[in-house]
Amino acid sequence: MYQDNEDDCKFAACTYFAKNHPGEMCGSNGLPLTPSSITILGRAQRLLTIEHPNLCTYLDVIRGKHERIIVVAEVIGKSLKECTSKFSFQEIVNIAKQVAISMKFLHDQDIIHRTLSDDNILIDNEGRVKLFNYGLYYMTGGGSEVSFPLGLPRYLSPETILNGGGPAADVWSYGIILLELSIGKLWNNLKPGPILRRILTLVHANNPAERIAREHDCFEQYKQVPENLRNIIEKCLKIYPSERATFSELVEDLTQMDSKELVEVKTPRGLMGCKLQYLYHLWQLAGGDIQAELKKNYLIKNSPPILSMPIAILLDGCTIGGKTGALFDRRLAKYSLDLLKSRLSHVPPQDFYPLMHERRKEYDAVALPKIIRERDTEYQFYRLLWFHRLLHGYPYTAPYIRAEAEIDIPPLVRGDVWAALLGVVGDIEDQYERIDKETPTPTDRQIDVDIPRCHQYCWLLCGSAGHKTLKRLLKAWLLTNPQYVYWQGLDSLTAPFLYLNFCNEARAFACLSAFVPKFLHKFFLKDNSAVIKEYLAKFWQMTAFHEPELATHLHEINFVPELFAIPWFLTMFSHVFPLHKIVHLWDALLVEGPALPLFMGVGILRQLRDTLLSSGFNECILLFSDLPEIDIGECVKESIEMCRSSPRSVSYRRFTNEAEVKDPMDIVEIPMEVLFNEISPRINLSDFFSLICQDKCCVIDIRSNLLYEKSCIDGSINVPYSGVHLGQHELRALGLHPQRVIQEAIKQKKMVVVASAEDETAQLFSDYLVKCCVPRVCILHGGISALLTHVPSLFTVPPKRNGHK
Amino acid sequence: MTGETVQNITKTFKYSFPTCTNEEIFFNLEVPVDIPHGGSTRELVQRVINMFHIPVYLEEELNEKLAQFVAEETKNFHNERDKKLLNQLKNSEINVEGIIKNWEKLFKDNVMEFAEQKGTSDEEVFAAAYHKLVHSPALETILQVENSYAKTVMNTLKSRDEDIEKLTQKQTEEMEEKVRMLNISSTEEEINELAAQQFEQQALVAGRWGSQLDALRQTQRAQHRAWLMDTLQEYQSTSALNTPSNSPLATFSPESVSLPAPVAAGGARLEESFTIHLGSQLKQTHNIRIVAMDLLDLCAVEQVDNPAESSRRLQTALSLYSGELAGCVVLCSSPPRRPAPPTTRLLAAADLSTEHHFPSMDAQLRDISERLLEPVERRNSQRVQADSAGPRSRSRRDLQTGDIFITKHSNLAEVHVVFHLMVDDSSLRSGDITSRHPAILGLRNILKAACSNDITSLAIPLLLRHEMSEEMTAAWCVRRAELVLKCVKGFMLEAAGWGGAELRTLTAALPATIAPSLFAPLAALTPNIFRVSNPVKFKAPNKTDSS
Repeated sequence: MYQDNEDDCKFAACTYFAKNHPGEMCGSNGLPLTPSSITILGRAQRLLTIEHPNLCTYLDVIRGKHERIIVVAEVIGKSLKECTSKFSFQEIVNIAKQVAISMKFLHDQDIIHRTLSDDNILIDNEGRVKLFNYGLYYMTGGGSEVSFPLGLPRYLSPETILNGGGPAADVWSYGIILLELSIGKLWNNLKPGPILRRILTLVHANNPAERIAREHDCFEQYKQVPENLRNIIEKCLKIYPSERATFSELVEDLTQMDSKELVEVKTPRGLMGCKLQYLYHLWQLAGGDIQAELKKNYLIKNSPPILSMPIAILLDGCTIGGKTGALFDRRLAKYSLDLLKSRLSHVPPQDFYPLMHERRKEYDAVALPKIIRERDTEYQFYRLLWFHRLLHGYPYTAPYIRAEAEIDIPPLVRGDVWAALLGVVGDIEDQYERIDKETPTPTDRQIDVDIPRCHQYCWLLCGSAGHKTLKRLLKAWLLTNPQYVYWQGLDSLTAPFLYLNFCNEARAFACLSAFVPKFLHKFFLKDNSAVIKEYLAKFWQMTAFHEPELATHLHEINFVPELFAIPWFLTMFSHVFPLHKIVHLWDALLVEGPALPLFMGVGILRQLRDTLLSSGFNECILLFSDLPEIDIGECVKESIEMCRSSPRSVSYRRFTNEAEVKDPMDIVEIPMEVLFNEISPRINLSDFFSLICQDKCCVIDIRSNLLYEKSCIDGSINVPYSGVHLGQHELRALGLHPQRVIQEAIKQKKMVVVASAEDETAQLFSDYLVKCCVPRVCILHGGISALLTHVPSLFTVPPKRNGHK
Repeated sequence: MTGETVQNITKTFKYSFPTCTNEEIFFNLEVPVDIPHGGSTRELVQRVINMFHIPVYLEEELNEKLAQFVAEETKNFHNERDKKLLNQLKNSEINVEGIIKNWEKLFKDNVMEFAEQKGTSDEEVFAAAYHKLVHSPALETILQVENSYAKTVMNTLKSRDEDIEKLTQKQTEEMEEKVRMLNISSTEEEINELAAQQFEQQALVAGRWGSQLDALRQTQRAQHRAWLMDTLQEYQSTSALNTPSNSPLATFSPESVSLPAPVAAGGARLEESFTIHLGSQLKQTHNIRIVAMDLLDLCAVEQVDNPAESSRRLQTALSLYSGELAGCVVLCSSPPRRPAPPTTRLLAAADLSTEHHFPSMDAQLRDISERLLEPVERRNSQRVQADSAGPRSRSRRDLQTGDIFITKHSNLAEVHVVFHLMVDDSSLRSGDITSRHPAILGLRNILKAACSNDITSLAIPLLLRHEMSEEMTAAWCVRRAELVLKCVKGFMLEAAGWGGAELRTLTAALPATIAPSLFAPLAALTPNIFRVSNPVKFKAPNKTDSS
């Protein structure tokens, strides 16, 4: 019965054009209308998440040039139309049952098929049935975003022809298909007009199915159809939709009729056992080109544009002459995975099933930049399988995920990994459901103004679906965080989460809710000036700590971070960079924790270093008003390096949601006014102690030599503050020995810790060191006296003069 | 008609639950719900519970009830509507034929399976052939052939001009003689007669030359086509082919190709280029050139043999049928059927050689004016109705300021497409036009058309004037240039969302006669209005290896 030669094709693509907006392209809000293709793209995202054994999974929806939409979806076997041999009644019942199951599923999701026809019901050798491209009606907003009519004339129900039609119209089409399967093709060789006319005349018939059979001289044949199947058909082909059976009723009836269980197909092992989405992704990485195949099948035709030039455009945008709309071609282009198979043919079978506690394999690719790794088929293959496995075990595998995410995150599972890194667990759907996202609030107006300006180059975020969801997310967040207000920038901050979880609003919300307290604690307070000031002061200190020369220059021209860095930190750079860069930045952020953004700021400055050093105040303002291209890979690498090499206490901030520090060894908190004055950060006693133990610091004791000689920190040098000329910014002025020691420390990348008896001198001396371009200068918090109280063991009596080591 | 006109209706969801002290008295809850319901019913339940302080133990039940209610009502909504439609059909209350005709048309016009099978048009076949050959070794020959054709036309044109000039001279002399002898040996009547005679002669000569030229062009066009198709066949059969053997070049006298000393076109012209970024987060790159030149220089091919000229032609020929077209905007104040300068200058430029691909520009203009009659008249009458207050009584059938007509060319130097933007001279002379001025809106339509028709480089007159005139003071120019650049910037940003071709190069032309002292401040506007991209500075990799 079924044909033997099963195609090896795993997925197929079809393409069509979205409708052009006629005339002036402006909506009621004064903004340009969203192109139809964008609207379709936004709606279609939901389809990508639907999985059902009797539905072909949607894999991708691509927006091409000039409003072209390409839909990629799974295929199996062949369509009923291509099956030339007749099916037995038992087979028909079996097909009917599977189609009914899938249709019931769709109707439960409020998706109307409308285009059900014999060419989008696919069947394979085992008799498994899947519906292909069932979402055309849904994604085109009921056909309003395209100019062609949906469906084939002979499957249209009478009420659809009259421009009505709800879910019950699908039942009619289903009935017609069953009837066709039983008695053969209907209205063959008729043009659409006569077919539609015939369908409409059926309204006068008592039993449309019989009437159709008679019209085709198949009444006898129809009578031979088993009664129960005939009943089903007649239940579907009722004229009034209210009298038709629903799919849930049909499923029940058919389950009773069809006892045959499908042969359980063993999931294939190896490559073909991988998730189809992964295969599609890898196939693309391996060089698979969707458009090329479409072109080969003449589904994308390239007529030279000069031939379709319009002859005139009137002022109101009315175009005369030129392009006539392209015809909708129902054909498909099918793709085989041979390309990918041969690319991965050398992968041993055991590699498809990595074990979690196995020693990890090292890949050469790790040394390459992230952007290249993301395009490496084989590397992504291994990473995907590995992450897939780890994500399965979440939350128990959280530490493993974190460790792997430190290397990199495969783009395909970034949404899941981020949620894992942020510790999103529990029934987030339920929690999200409970939040009222509809009731208007006073901030709505501002949100409405900001959203159409937020990352609008991204096709997902610029459509109406994106706008709506973003607004819901913002409202939900504001409602659950009554202590906070809406600051402009919150929209940008939300955008990456929405982008990665477009169809999973609840998870986007959970991620945002976890992200803000971790990275932006108290930033969205109504009065957030203290928080922001502290953050910027810390950022400035970190700049002085790692880039003393640059910091000195910017101090001199009075170019303060308030002028440029507030949007950086308030939005965690999401307002500054495009999404494809933000994701890389945040990949690192989520792994490294809340201290990293400070160093990212320094990293950006470092990339602009040469320009900044040669610029005055005005040039700097101009430069930052539109940031030049930043190499994000480099910036991330350097900021992580800086972050890890800096002692934790150096970047301490008071406004975090971490537990309050009690231990005097760990305290570095100083009054805000003092903080604003200090150029160099402070280091706490315990960090200092561990630095000493690892011989990673150079201690400069600036007390008078009398005190120093009495008792000093072991290994420290003494530069009495009273002897320093603060106006002379040269290390040489400190004397030969201190100069040599400090230069040695710089070379070995040691911290330079200023220890003093009183804060003021320590502060002035550290400023002096920064001006001398000494990096990694910090002040010992509490000075010598605190250290003496808590860690007296570090102290010693210096050997007599000229006894330096 | 698939566009479903869903009109929502509102149904009231009723729910009641017992009061806590008396099981018989109920709290009644009534919530109006839109059918079909757009969002999730579970979310609605939560809102209801919060707003009316409904005990949480009812949550599950409410969820279930509301979902059921919405499902039921939605089904009823569809069914009721459809029932009404079907009943109307049964009682023959609807225009069945109309509906079916509509569907028929929809299927026929839009769906491949039901459409009339159309073969590829001649135009497309020729386009494909030309595009293929021009990207083959035959390219050089093709260009040579086209050049020699052009030369013949130019020579003929030259002879015509000489001929006419000679005649005119002769006639002038004759006339002068007669006038001198007025009242001596000739009468006024005689002079009038002579004038009429001379006019006739002129017309005759012009007509003769005209038909000769037409004939020449037609033969050339036919020859060119035939030869190209032959060459293509040969090319396809022998796959490797260096120079086409049957080139019609053979029929031309082998004039020694004397290379005239390359004349720098127009001497050093004022020009400045910028690479700019648009967009706040994701940046798109464009090139902007500010040039002081006559836009028609982009069109006219003056010297066929000049190597600089032929390289310009080469570029144009290569991209003629590609997705990277070049266009330019020419302002005009006369409708297509009555060309006036600068359109006439363009016509002259287009006539210098035979148009092998498209109808001649004359024919295009005629075609345009014919096809525009009806839509323009409809539009204008609508407009008159809309603002009856406006007493402007312009011709009902004319194009108006901001309208555009478009001609396409294969024989111009650097452009394929010319946008003729209708402008009203007097309003553009005044200094204070706003961004809502029709000429600016026309510019927007042009950029949009460029985007949707794969025009990737476009030249516009920056000041919306082709020539300098006295009211164009320095301040006037700066203000105008700023307005146009800012508007263009907005349009380019807008175009990014349309998903068409992106404009790679925008040439903003200033009148050729502009003073250098005025050019400088205008060129300096660009980096102020656009973000000029910073040059990438090469930095030596860090010596400390961190890989």
